[in-house]
Amino acid sequence: MTVSRTTSYAGIAVVVAVLPLLLDPYWTDVFVSIGLYSVLALSLNIILGQAGLFHMGHAAFYAVGAYVTAIANTMWGVPVLWAMPFAGLAAALFAMLVARPIIHLRGDYLLIVTIGIVEIVRIALINNVFGLTGGANGIFGISRPTLFGFKIAKPVHFYYLVWAYVACSVLLFRRLENSRFGRALNYIKEDDTAAEGSGVNTASYKLWAFVLGAFWAGMTGTIYAAKMTIISPESFSFWESVVLFAIVILGGGSNRGVLLGAFLLIGLPEFFREFASARMLAFGLAMVVMMIFRPQGMLPPMPRFYKLPERIRCVTGKDGGAAAAQVGGEA
Amino acid sequence: MKHVIKALTLALAASLLMAATAFAAPVKIGLMCPLTGKWASEGQDMRNIVTLLADELNKAGGINGNKVELVVEDDGGDPRTAALAAQKLTTSGVIAAIGTYGSAVTEASQSIYDEAGVVQIATGSTAVRLTEKGLKRFLRTAPRDDEQGMVAAKLIKAKGYKAVALLHDNSSYAKGLADETKALLDKAGTKIVFYDALTPGERDYTAILTKLKAANPDIIFCTGYYPEVGMLLRQKMEMKWNVPMMGGDAANHADLVKISGKEAAKGYFFLSPPGPQDLDAPAAKSMLTAYKAKYNGVPGSVWSVLAGDAFNVIVEAVKSTGKADSAAIADYLKTKLKNYPGFTGQISFNEKGDRVGDLYRVYEVNANGEFILQP
Repeated sequence: MTVSRTTSYAGIAVVVAVLPLLLDPYWTDVFVSIGLYSVLALSLNIILGQAGLFHMGHAAFYAVGAYVTAIANTMWGVPVLWAMPFAGLAAALFAMLVARPIIHLRGDYLLIVTIGIVEIVRIALINNVFGLTGGANGIFGISRPTLFGFKIAKPVHFYYLVWAYVACSVLLFRRLENSRFGRALNYIKEDDTAAEGSGVNTASYKLWAFVLGAFWAGMTGTIYAAKMTIISPESFSFWESVVLFAIVILGGGSNRGVLLGAFLLIGLPEFFREFASARMLAFGLAMVVMMIFRPQGMLPPMPRFYKLPERIRCVTGKDGGAAAAQVGGEA
Repeated sequence: MKHVIKALTLALAASLLMAATAFAAPVKIGLMCPLTGKWASEGQDMRNIVTLLADELNKAGGINGNKVELVVEDDGGDPRTAALAAQKLTTSGVIAAIGTYGSAVTEASQSIYDEAGVVQIATGSTAVRLTEKGLKRFLRTAPRDDEQGMVAAKLIKAKGYKAVALLHDNSSYAKGLADETKALLDKAGTKIVFYDALTPGERDYTAILTKLKAANPDIIFCTGYYPEVGMLLRQKMEMKWNVPMMGGDAANHADLVKISGKEAAKGYFFLSPPGPQDLDAPAAKSMLTAYKAKYNGVPGSVWSVLAGDAFNVIVEAVKSTGKADSAAIADYLKTKLKNYPGFTGQISFNEKGDRVGDLYRVYEVNANGEFILQP
């Protein structure tokens, strides 16, 4: 990481940290929403952006997490933030169960099945499955989270909670991207068959991508439940999945792109609130323009660069420092 | 971050402009409604009605010489967007907010208005728990879910039925209504000879109808939705069984008669809030005429008319108390407002903020398959 990059990251961190001091509660809340969707889109990015699996049912995992939190909190009095790992685990387990049989599907076929999953989850929630989910009215009275005795209730408090969570997620996902696991996913995305031929267990890697993405989405569900204090099936409609899908595709699949996508897709409609019903039209127009002029997304992942060790550089006879070899997409 | 600052300056400039055009400090009233999403038609009706009323009021000089400024925000029929809309309205300085449609959506905004000390009058939110939380400044012009059960039990008693069969479909709404009615009838000593659920979406209900027939009820009260009710009516006629049947407001849909056929539906009656075209209050008639003239159509349902009622009671409260203050408005509406002549009948509120008085009416299907409001 170069110095200029570090400073720019530090600059962004400072801006994020002081932003709520300049904003009214409404805009703070908008940024909380952007933060939530950023994390959700980052978790979808593992599946869609990194592994290239067309998954349009991410709201299902998010819903599982939110409902597990709500049920644990309202029925057994589990503190909201304590429920977070359990929400994540429940969502991950659910993902493992539903993704295992469909993992061999490719492209559009997988997309259709995942749409089915999110609809099944939503309808199951409306039908008050096991008498736990409260039907169409949802679950209400989820308590506010407390962190070291501090009650998180105001938009500003949630702002810092959510953006701290975003920062952690970005850091972890960045590490993941550059790991053996991340490279394997990229290989699968570029060429499934070649990956299989090179000894990458594609089915297993794909499944783990789903499980990991779902785990993170489930944990985000916890924060959503805590923020809203009421959750209902409408919050996890097919449309939410579409928005998340669009964020990742629009962003291009890199972490920076996903964050930018979340800003545009969640933040911009709020800027255009004045146009009320016409704002969705602008949304559609923007998507069409993107499709024509930048189909790869705004910030697609950059090719991977690795510095060669000193020995090899001597052999190839190149100068130190400037030499870099591209080994993008090799597992 | 330039965007934010730019937007904020723009918003500031816009609000300054608006303030400059008004003669005196305007009274700001918020409206939160689903202008986008699956309930968009409902939300647009709400906006149309309230805008119409606000324009008329301003033409007539406003409230005590002060103009009313309406701030409309889209809640998208989704709890998350609703929370944002509520934040937006409270920060824009409204004294009261009207809305919204859908109980869960309203609930997501309740605590935000409560913390900001803004009066909220919900319009299409019937879930019982909304007013059971003890929020000081929350009211609603819509009836509660349990009120329908009360009206149903009263109607059954008034019509003199002695043996009642209750049939629901296990949805939380229909089961809730059946349970409520059952509890009230049990208390009144009316015999419940049958209480069970059918499976919605099936094509053949003869099995459950045979079971029902064996119980020999005077009346069947099916609380489910119109597709099942339509099938039941038709298959009941095919069985040549002539027992009367009644339903709840989930049966209020024109397709009911299409499914059952006119002959089978004749004499079937159900409870429902009156449709906009059936509102008999004089205020409603003149409002609907103005609405037709301006928007070339009628509101789709009574729920949007309830938004108009909410607007009028807020205006009434500001007029009577003489100040645009949320606490005074809430207090006036809950304790002093009595029998205000609204579009949907007389309006009063109780301490909890629930509307007092029956909104539910009885509709009967005539030989032509039309729903006729019973006096």
